[in-house]
Amino acid sequence: MVQINLPKNSEVTKGKYYQDKTGSKNLRKVNVYRWDPSTEENPRLDSYEVDMDNCPSKVLDILNKIKNEIDPTLAYRRSCAHGVCGSCAMNMGGKNGLACTTPHAEIDGDIDIYPLPHLKVKRDLIGDLDGLYKQYQSIEPWLKNNSTKEKTEIVQSKEERSKLDGAYECIMCACCSTSCPSYWWNGDKYLGPAVLLQAYRWIIDSRDEEREERLKKVADELKLYRCHTILNCTNACPKGLNPAKAIAELKKMIATANV
Amino acid sequence: MENKNPLSPHIQIYRWHISSLVSISHRITGIINIVAITLICIWVSLLTLGDANYNFINQFLNSIFGKFIVLGLVWSFSFQMLSEVRHLIMDMGYGFELQTTRISGLMVIFGSFLLTILIYLMGKNFI
Repeated sequence: MVQINLPKNSEVTKGKYYQDKTGSKNLRKVNVYRWDPSTEENPRLDSYEVDMDNCPSKVLDILNKIKNEIDPTLAYRRSCAHGVCGSCAMNMGGKNGLACTTPHAEIDGDIDIYPLPHLKVKRDLIGDLDGLYKQYQSIEPWLKNNSTKEKTEIVQSKEERSKLDGAYECIMCACCSTSCPSYWWNGDKYLGPAVLLQAYRWIIDSRDEEREERLKKVADELKLYRCHTILNCTNACPKGLNPAKAIAELKKMIATANV
Repeated sequence: MENKNPLSPHIQIYRWHISSLVSISHRITGIINIVAITLICIWVSLLTLGDANYNFINQFLNSIFGKFIVLGLVWSFSFQMLSEVRHLIMDMGYGFELQTTRISGLMVIFGSFLLTILIYLMGKNFI
């Protein structure tokens, strides 16, 4: 169901204001979504004044700076800091992306940082992605080939392999799925761009033998057709992939009975 | 157990861009058009009941408010039509590159106004 307003317990209140203590002239205000599961309070938006003279170029650097120098209670996921692991996916300046690859110079005015949209928050910037992982599991993202008992390799030509380009690079950071309004409001049934891109990746794999079953599975009304080409997904993808195009290709395969 | 954790903000914070604007406008104009077509059908049916009805609606549509509504509907139809063409092309699997979607979205937005003016001018000449 389309639900524009947030539930009562999710409304964001005004939080604390952390004034700069370094005396720097080059300050930026950073507003960060905070929620502490140990209290009964609503989420709040804390503001930090951050000294930009001593801060590297990415949004993750700002968060590290806040955690190390201003407020150690801030919680967020991060790991590789090179746009490979997909841990630090969040909403910055109104757009999803990886904090480690998003330059803060690209965000005008105050830097607003929220968790990925429309997720149950576990704490601060950490959203609950269990639902998405379950859906990922439901498409059975592994090679299904009954002839694997043969001792020879399954040959794949260069052309067949090139079809996987733009699909296999996905790091499952969930930036795309959580940017999609259809997924916000139908996330229980609609698979969402991230999982559909992976479904597509296995459907077009020349070595996979269950193409037909896989297509039948995603053909169900809500699993696929809730995509209305809003294209938030493609806009959000930090790896420059195109889930919207993959979904369109899936629709086309089903429409033309090209199974 | 029900998860009582808060829901992170979504539409409240997500930034709009051309494609999402065109997509939501496509839906809104779609609803407006269905209502408009229904009203036009009712209007046509009323003609069978005599010329008093015709005069009444004719007068309404020629008032300033009526003209505003007619122009609004012309825009709504223009937008829906162009946006539908964009969707058709996308359904064939073309035009999904980010730059292309921006350009085609802008074409729909500006084209709808252009088409409105064009239809308006055509209407004026025919009268």
